[in-house]
Amino acid sequence: MRNKRLFILMIGVMVAIALLGYTFGRSKLTWPEKFINDTFGTLQGALYRPVGAVADFFRDLSRLSDVYKENEELRQTVARYTEDKIRYNLIAKQNEALQEELNFTERQKKLYNYKFLIAQVVANSSNPYDPTIKINLGSHDGVKEKMAVTTVDGLVGLVSRVSEFTSTVTPITELSSTSTDSISIAATIFGREDQSFGIVDFDKEKNVLQMSKIDENDVVKEGDIVITSGLGNVFPRGLIIGKVVSSQVGDFGLTHTATIEPAAKFDHLNDVFVVVTPDVDAP
Amino acid sequence: MRMNWTILATVLLLLVQTSVLPWLVPPGWSDRLLPHLPFIMTVFVALYGNRHRAFFFGLGFGLLEDVLFYGKLIGAYGFSMALLGYLLGLIAERRPRTLSFTLVSVALGSALLDMMVYGIYDLFQLVNVTFAFAVYWHIVPTLLISALLALLLYIPVRRWLVKNIASSAEENGG
Repeated sequence: MRNKRLFILMIGVMVAIALLGYTFGRSKLTWPEKFINDTFGTLQGALYRPVGAVADFFRDLSRLSDVYKENEELRQTVARYTEDKIRYNLIAKQNEALQEELNFTERQKKLYNYKFLIAQVVANSSNPYDPTIKINLGSHDGVKEKMAVTTVDGLVGLVSRVSEFTSTVTPITELSSTSTDSISIAATIFGREDQSFGIVDFDKEKNVLQMSKIDENDVVKEGDIVITSGLGNVFPRGLIIGKVVSSQVGDFGLTHTATIEPAAKFDHLNDVFVVVTPDVDAP
Repeated sequence: MRMNWTILATVLLLLVQTSVLPWLVPPGWSDRLLPHLPFIMTVFVALYGNRHRAFFFGLGFGLLEDVLFYGKLIGAYGFSMALLGYLLGLIAERRPRTLSFTLVSVALGSALLDMMVYGIYDLFQLVNVTFAFAVYWHIVPTLLISALLALLLYIPVRRWLVKNIASSAEENGG
């Protein structure tokens, strides 16, 4: 009897390791996985949103005293926004006219025409080593793998797996430069887009988000806002990543590395945006 | 144990765990308090059902959780919950099922589950924290919140999901 039990345990361990190894680094889902994800996603959405609304309501109640001040600030922001909007419209029109004059191709014109799909978060993972977020948009709505997901605060993560009506989002704090299928985000500093350049990834050893390979003549200060640069055209440009906390000399002393604090919060998420880049290379 | 009702209740608890509990956890604690309600139910099955049922129950719900939140691997929770369900069922076989024994099982099981999952992710070099930090950062808080949730679930489970003491003892004998 003892031997039989041990034998079954060994088989179980082997099957488990095989399964772990097989699913490691795979990005496509099979149909049973999609089916389970979609079924549960619907049910999770039915729970997550009402509960979130109630939680938000109570949070708003506790912030009621700040509303007057916030309103005042928002009014000023709107005034500034209107001013900027007029300027923007003029510049956009001028830009269009110039593109026309310089014979931009259709492809070049559409390059930065991003679509923001609004999605609701439906569930959070409770796995401490593999935090993921589920959203209620899937391949049916045009979501594809490796699309950027943002909130109004900043970049949250990347779509890692897509099923029919739901998808899984990996937070940016999980994008490590050492993993095989990692994406490094080309980034720049807000306000100095044409001068700064760096690569943002997550440093597993120090447990921080960092921007590396910054030119040594480029001064990155504490408090600078890091945004995506869109160079390479894989990742959309102009998404806020975070704020620079500190800057130091990099690995070989030739480049600088800055530590970044992510702008987005990863808990109590409600609405997020999936950024769809135009498929310019499609025939 | 009334297995059909237990499975239905656990599916509901899984939904609660993934979609309601994140809102109740205060901001800043979201990566520290990570209770697994299906695992707590697996412990109940191990204690009030038998070890084979607990094995399949843990395997099923562990894999379900893995598939739902497939980040890097599938199978870490399936393997750990199945093994722990079986072992807890083995330990609990000839012991009185008191409240304190249940709570100790859940607390111990929760800690062991987190440590096993840590071990599996460490095996694939996917963990970026030390073991001591993981224990301090989330294993101990999760252990405490799991024991608290088990206390909340104890009365409903005893009342509705366990048939009666005599028949469940019979099941264990067989």
